[in-house]
Amino acid sequence: MNRNLGKGIIVIPAYNEVGTIAGVLREIEAEHLGMDIVVVDDGSRDGMADLLEKLHVKTISHPINLGYGAAVQTGFKYAARKGYDYLVMMDADGQHVPSQVRALLEGLESGNDIVIGSRLAAGAAAYRIPAFRRAGIAFFSLLAWLLGGVHIRDVTSGFQAMRREVFMALAEDYPVDFPDADVIVLLGRKRFRIREVPATVRERAGGKSMYSSMGTALYYPFKSFLSTFIVLLRLFRERRGR
Amino acid sequence: MSLQAKMMITLLLLGNAVLVVELLRKRKLTESYTLLWLFVIGFTAIATWTDRLLNFLAIFFGAIAPVSALTLLSLVFILVMLIYFSMKISQLGRELKDLAQEVALRTVSIPAATTPPPDHGEAEGDPRP
Repeated sequence: MNRNLGKGIIVIPAYNEVGTIAGVLREIEAEHLGMDIVVVDDGSRDGMADLLEKLHVKTISHPINLGYGAAVQTGFKYAARKGYDYLVMMDADGQHVPSQVRALLEGLESGNDIVIGSRLAAGAAAYRIPAFRRAGIAFFSLLAWLLGGVHIRDVTSGFQAMRREVFMALAEDYPVDFPDADVIVLLGRKRFRIREVPATVRERAGGKSMYSSMGTALYYPFKSFLSTFIVLLRLFRERRGR
Repeated sequence: MSLQAKMMITLLLLGNAVLVVELLRKRKLTESYTLLWLFVIGFTAIATWTDRLLNFLAIFFGAIAPVSALTLLSLVFILVMLIYFSMKISQLGRELKDLAQEVALRTVSIPAATTPPPDHGEAEGDPRP
């Protein structure tokens, strides 16, 4: 338990990550962060469920594959129901470095509601991002700034720490796929204090990024743009009492 | 519209009516959807055989021929139905996601070291009687 923040949990959404999950869990435990760990297995078919059982880690298993956002939301729901005070979200592919969780927690301790580990913030180690994806991230970062008033360079980062008020709000409604700029805009508009801290992100040890397919490359920008617009529309309607 | 066209449309509508009733009998369609389709089939049959109604629709929509008005109405209906089904699928998808999450949250596997001792000295989930 963190003295200042209360009871915390690390949520790891995972889908077919049998090759990396054990290493990720080992690294987290070696850090002695004093936080519970829960893996949300999003209907994996590569034997990850059996491995998690052997590793004696708390696991929430989706009966079917629901998507990354749904797995994250399940983690939020679990943390909300079990009364956790703060939550850290990490990917299961070994890209996030557990020793940097402390930097996120320091961000929470200094009064922020959500702290995002960023590959693109000043001070972060160089990370290879394909040019078109970098351009996409820059565009949605600009959109988040213009529409949400939040200056976050790495809007697609899944390495985040947040207070209870934030995950309680997101547990209610969270995008099933690509929860990125739309969530940042929503949180910004709801006046949550958001901060970005530099984070080192490793190259993927295995599997493939959910952004990597050609279909996704075509779908993602339109989906994210539409979701961000809809977030604004919903907030506008909410404020008008409808 | 020629008598032959009217007969052909009527035959097609009858075939569709038989199909939806048969689907209802086999429990592949619910009563509400069957009624909706029967209503649409009935309306189309009436419009086909009532020249005044068809002519009125053609003038209303600015169509050159009465049969074009019928085609336009069919397209609009299909579009509305597709939007409705997209909405239904989205709703079902959301409900399925919530249900799957709820099932998962109710069956969280707890590591053996922190599992409270089960009743009667048996392991949790032990299949033995």
